[in-house]
Amino acid sequence: MSYLFASALLFALGVYGVLTRRTAILVFLSIELMLNAANLSLIGFARAHGLDGQVAALMVIAIAAAEVAVGLGLIVAIFRHRESTAVDDLSELRG
Amino acid sequence: MSPWEALALLLLLATGLLVVTLRNAIHAALALIANFLVLAGVYVALDARFLGFIQIIVYAGAIVVLFLFVIMLLFAAQGEVGFDPLVRSKPLAALLSLGVAGILLSGLLGLKLAFSQNLQGGLPQALGPLLYGDWLLILLAVGFLLMAATVVAVALVEPNRPLDALRLEERKEEVLR
Repeated sequence: MSYLFASALLFALGVYGVLTRRTAILVFLSIELMLNAANLSLIGFARAHGLDGQVAALMVIAIAAAEVAVGLGLIVAIFRHRESTAVDDLSELRG
Repeated sequence: MSPWEALALLLLLATGLLVVTLRNAIHAALALIANFLVLAGVYVALDARFLGFIQIIVYAGAIVVLFLFVIMLLFAAQGEVGFDPLVRSKPLAALLSLGVAGILLSGLLGLKLAFSQNLQGGLPQALGPLLYGDWLLILLAVGFLLMAATVVAVALVEPNRPLDALRLEERKEEVLR
């Protein structure tokens, strides 16, 4: 039960990071924090409701891996054009 | 709450706080690795041993290393750049995330959970039949997603001209660009 509370607090920390960080890479780190908070609550609920929660957490891990690959590719591509990864500078997507 | 549980929670929150507050991106990524290692221990304690090891191998071993690699590649260790257009955004963000925490915690407050399920330790022998039984379609979809993500990542970072066609000086320029 206490782990579910920890998961809620970790998720809130991730929200704070996404809102305050100003480099795209650090925003991504905060998103990873939120995904892991979701995983922690899935596994906490799996203790009461059976193994399906753990399988779902496995899927979340796989999707997070795909998201990181695409996201970091995007950051590298943007850095090549703009010489910066600050999210404040990226107000338009036109290359 | 046992002392180990309390210690794990304290470490989780402390490393999470470091991830969102440290100014140096490399330090933040290292704090994220610490967070993931504690999380792996928590998973093992929650009868999810396979996921605990996956957490160490995939997250701490692959994803964060990819992050560190990109941070170093782009010289992006400096977290705070330029001037801050919204000076008062931090207290506002703290307030907003506290609101999110309040909503989530209020959802958990009335909850009664019975910890009686037999999870067989969360070993691969227990997860495998589920993964290739009820969840097969979703597993295939995730596999397809991973393949698409790989193709997209390669296509995104491909240089405009093939590197072999460039002279040495141009190639250096292209790599630095």
